[in-house]
Amino acid sequence: MSIWVLATAADQLSPLLAAAREATEPTGQAVEAVVVGTAELATAASGMGVGRVHWIETAPDIPAEAYVGAVADLARRAGADVWLSGAAPAPRALLGAAAAACGAGLVGGGVALRLDGPTVTVERNALDGAVVETLTGPAPLAVVWDLTEAQPVDAAATAPVETVAAEPSKSGLRRDSVEPAATAAGLLTAERVIGIGRGVKARADLALIEDLAADLGAEMACSMPVADDLHWLGPERYIGRSGQRIAPGLYLALGISGEPQHMEGVRGAKVVVAVNKDPAAVIFRSATYGIVGDLYEFVPALREALRQD
Amino acid sequence: MKAIVIYKWARATASARVRESGEVDWGAAKMTAGDDDPAALDVAKAIAGADGDVVGLTIGDGEAAWALARGVATAFTAPQVGPLADESATAGALAQAVRQLGEVDAVVIGDDPAHPGVAPALAAHLGWPVVLAVGSAALSGDGRVVITRKAGAEVETISLVTPVVLGAVAAGEEARPPGMMETIKARKKPIGELSVAAPAEAVTSTQTRRPARSGAKLLGGEPAEAAAALVTELRGDGLL
Ligand SMILES: Cc1cc2nc3c(=O)[nH]c(=O)nc-3n(C[C@@H](O)[C@H](O)[C@H](O)COP(=O)(O)OP(=O)(O)OC[C@H]3O[C@@H](n4cnc5c(N)ncnc54)[C@H](O)[C@@H]3O)c2cc1C
Ligand SMILES: Cc1cc2nc3c(=O)[nH]c(=O)nc-3n(C[C@H](O)[C@H](O)[C@H](O)COP(=O)(O)OP(=O)(O)OC[C@H]3O[C@@H](n4cnc5c(N)ncnc54)[C@H](O)[C@@H]3O)c2cc1C
Repeated sequence: MSIWVLATAADQLSPLLAAAREATEPTGQAVEAVVVGTAELATAASGMGVGRVHWIETAPDIPAEAYVGAVADLARRAGADVWLSGAAPAPRALLGAAAAACGAGLVGGGVALRLDGPTVTVERNALDGAVVETLTGPAPLAVVWDLTEAQPVDAAATAPVETVAAEPSKSGLRRDSVEPAATAAGLLTAERVIGIGRGVKARADLALIEDLAADLGAEMACSMPVADDLHWLGPERYIGRSGQRIAPGLYLALGISGEPQHMEGVRGAKVVVAVNKDPAAVIFRSATYGIVGDLYEFVPALREALRQD
Repeated sequence: MKAIVIYKWARATASARVRESGEVDWGAAKMTAGDDDPAALDVAKAIAGADGDVVGLTIGDGEAAWALARGVATAFTAPQVGPLADESATAGALAQAVRQLGEVDAVVIGDDPAHPGVAPALAAHLGWPVVLAVGSAALSGDGRVVITRKAGAEVETISLVTPVVLGAVAAGEEARPPGMMETIKARKKPIGELSVAAPAEAVTSTQTRRPARSGAKLLGGEPAEAAAALVTELRGDGLL
C-alpha cells in the first residue's frame, strides 16, 4: 500500500505527512508527495521524510486549481492506495480530480487512517464534530483531511524531486488580483482573546469586558451578529467560518451560543472557556471549561480572582 | 447563459441527537437545504444574467419548492440517488444528471464543509474546471466568469471561461428567504425526475461514536468560586 499526499502550500504538508506516517508506520509502506506550487514548496516537501516528491510547477498568477488535469494523469499512473489533502480550496480541487481519475471513493473530515491489507479505514468528524464516524472500503480511497495544527517534523534524508510536465487548464483560469482582507492588528497572533456574543446586552457594557481584556492582556473579538448586526466591533473582529480564524492559547467566549460556524474560527485555540447562562448552549459541547452563569456576574468575579492571584 | 444550481436536501444536522452509545438519533428531523445553497443560487443567477436560465437540481426526495420559491423556473431530482457516504459517488450521480439537462455554462453547488468532496469531484466527473469557496461571481464583458473569494487573510479575484463548476459559500443566514405565499405556490408545481441509476459506493459507514473529549469541564459554584477555579485551571495549563 502507498499513501500520496497532495499539497499546494507549506502549512498543509506537516499535518498530512504526520497522518500518513502514523498510518504506514506498522508496515513501512511508501509515502509520496505531490506538490503543486513553487520550487520552495517542492524543496520543503523533499525534506519531510517522504519517499519521493512529484512537483508540478505553477506559473505566477495561475492558481493551483488550473493543474487538475496533470494531477488526474498522475493519479491514473500512480497506483496509490490512499490520497490525502487538506480542505483548502486548491488542494481539495486537486484531490477531487485524483479521486475521479483513479476511481477512488472520496470522504471528508478525516482524522485517523488505518490500512489493513486491501482495506482502508478512515475515522472522520461528522455532524459538526458531534460524532466520529468510521468508514471503510477497498483501496483506493481519497480523504479530505482535517488539518488542525502543524506537526513537528523530524529531520529526514532529502527525497528526490521529480518534475511533472504540466500545462494549465484550457479554461484560462487565472488570478487577476489579490488584496489583503481586512484584519485587526494583533488579533490573529494574540495569545489570549475574549469573544463576545449576543449575550452582552448593551454597547455600554463593552467597557466592563474591555477592562477584563486589559487585565488579561487579551484582544477583543466577537460573534458575527455583534459585528454585522450590532456594529459594536468592526467586521474584521468577528470569528468564524466567514470571519477570522484564530489560534490563541486562550479563547474566552462570553455570551456566545457556540454555533458550528462560529466555533470553526477557534478550532486552533488550545483552551476555550465558555460563559453562558443556558446550560444547554451548544458551546458547552466543544469548550474546554464551562461556566453556566450570567456573564455580568462572572466577569467582575474573574477580575477579582485575577487580582488576588 | 444557462446555469444549474445544485442544492442538498437533507436532515438538519442540528436536529441530530447523539446517544451515549454514539448512535445518532434523528428523531423527527426536518429536511432543509444546505446553509450555502442560497449563496449558490445567488451565484447561479448572477452568471445566468437577467435573461438567462437557472435550473434547480437535487437528489433523492429533494423538493422542488426550495428552488421554485426562489425564482427558479424548473427543478429536477434524481430520485434513485439516496444519501451516500462516498462523495465521489454522489458527484458522479450529479454529473450524470447535469448531462441530461442539455448545454450548460455553469454548475453552482453549495461548498458545504460537511461534504467537501462533492463539488471538486463533480467537476472532475464532468471534466470541467472548478473554483471552490466562491463568495460571489459575475460575468464580464468578454464572457469570462469573474469570481471573488476569501483565501486565508486575502481576497482573491479569479477568472476563467465557461463551462465551470463553482462551489459557493454563504457568509451568513439567507438575506431574504421567500415568504409563506411563495412557498405554498411553489409546492403546487411538480419536480422533474431524471433517471440516474443509484451509484455504487466505495465506502460504507460502519459506526459512529462520541468524540474522545466531548463536553466542557464545568466549573460550578458561586461566581467567585467558579472564577477562582478557572484561574487555577488556566494557571495549570500555563495560560496565565
Ligand atoms: C448536492 C447534494 C444534494 C443532496 N440531496 C439530498 C436529498 O435530496 N436527500 C437526502 O436525504 N440527502 C441529500 N443529500 C445529502 C446526502 O448525500 C448526505 O450525505 C446525507 O443527507 C447526510 O448528510 P449529513 O450532513 O446530514 O450527515 P453525515 O455526517 O453525512 O452522515 C452521518 C451518518 O448518517 C447517515 N445518514 C445521513 N443521512 C441519512 C439518511 N437520510 N438515511 C440514512 N442514513 C443517513 C450517513 O450515512 C452517516 O452514516 C445531498 C447532498 C448533496 C451534496
Ligand atoms: C452560512 C453561515 C455562516 C456563518 N458564519 C458565522 C461566522 O463566521 N461567525 C459567527 O460568529 N457566526 C456565523 N454565523 C451565524 C451563527 O450561526 C450564529 O447565528 C451566531 O454565531 C450566533 O451568535 P451569538 O452566539 O452571539 O448569538 P446567539 O446565538 O443569540 O447566542 C447568545 C448566547 O448568549 C447567552 N446569554 C444570553 N445572556 C447571557 C448572559 N447574561 N450571560 C451569559 N450568557 C448569556 C445565550 O444563552 C445564548 O447562548 C453563520 C451562519 C450561517 C448560516
